[in-house]
Amino acid sequence: MEECIARHQFSVRGVARVNTLASWLDRATRGLSTESRAKVRAEIEEHYHAALEEPGATEQSAMLALGDPKTANCQYRKALLTSAEARLLRESAWESTLFCNSPRSARFFLPLIMFAVAMYFLDAGQFRMAGVFAWGGAGITLLMVARWLPIYTPARGRIFRIVRWTWMLGTFFIAGFGTPLMWALFPTLVWVPFYYETTLSSIRRKLPVEQWPKSLYL
Amino acid sequence: MNLRGTLPTLILQALDRAPDHGYSIAQRIKTSSKGVLDFKEGTLYPALHKLENEGMVESYEEVEKGRPRRYYRITESGRAVLAKDREKWKNVSRAINSLLGESLA
Repeated sequence: MEECIARHQFSVRGVARVNTLASWLDRATRGLSTESRAKVRAEIEEHYHAALEEPGATEQSAMLALGDPKTANCQYRKALLTSAEARLLRESAWESTLFCNSPRSARFFLPLIMFAVAMYFLDAGQFRMAGVFAWGGAGITLLMVARWLPIYTPARGRIFRIVRWTWMLGTFFIAGFGTPLMWALFPTLVWVPFYYETTLSSIRRKLPVEQWPKSLYL
Repeated sequence: MNLRGTLPTLILQALDRAPDHGYSIAQRIKTSSKGVLDFKEGTLYPALHKLENEGMVESYEEVEKGRPRRYYRITESGRAVLAKDREKWKNVSRAINSLLGESLA
């Protein structure tokens, strides 16, 4: 390790220090969001300068004490937002906008239309289609009234998400699970919302509750 | 000696006495354990962020020697978790000591 660091040192001390710490930081912040990278840079630079103030300290010893930047990067990715998570958080704002800020007419009429179509199919004796539209209407009603529901605490948000996932899987089952086509489509249909939900779970663990946008509760 | 998973407990213990900044926390852990508990200081801050996300520590900024410095202090829930971890460690070390045939100090 010491040999590796020594190999990268140049004759000008100032340039060597910046390049060595800079390359450590570059590796340790790989894949993190812009805000996370700035946070890491500030704290590691502060730590590095504090280490250099110790009597007998050298740049080499300060760099050695920091350890492997890959290990630090792995730990940072578990504690701070990655760039993918920050992007998903920005993009998930469209969902909460749709649910919480949709026009009144959409919130009122869309579920009514779904229930009306369900009644039509029920009357025609097509129970499966009636079930799909009734179930779909119930789910859309739930999502549209989310802005008024007292779900914006972590525990209640969890309950809302369980109900929402139950609705999503129920829709799939009612629509025709059991047919070969549905079996074939099931992994594809479930993969995207599953990935989305696991990424949002990771974001919930990394952000303090006070900083949660509404989309994280839904 | 490498004791994985104990770093958050060591950080809470170091902060139990008084708030401190990252570098000083690292030095306190190393000197209090007489160098037995060693860790790479680059992994200290991810552990501090995790504790902050879980509400066990909180951070604030102070200016020292003309430079802004981030300090950490333990919260009430951090103290509660530290008390539980101390109890757990006592039980584990008692069990290991009796297995290894050592008497408790």
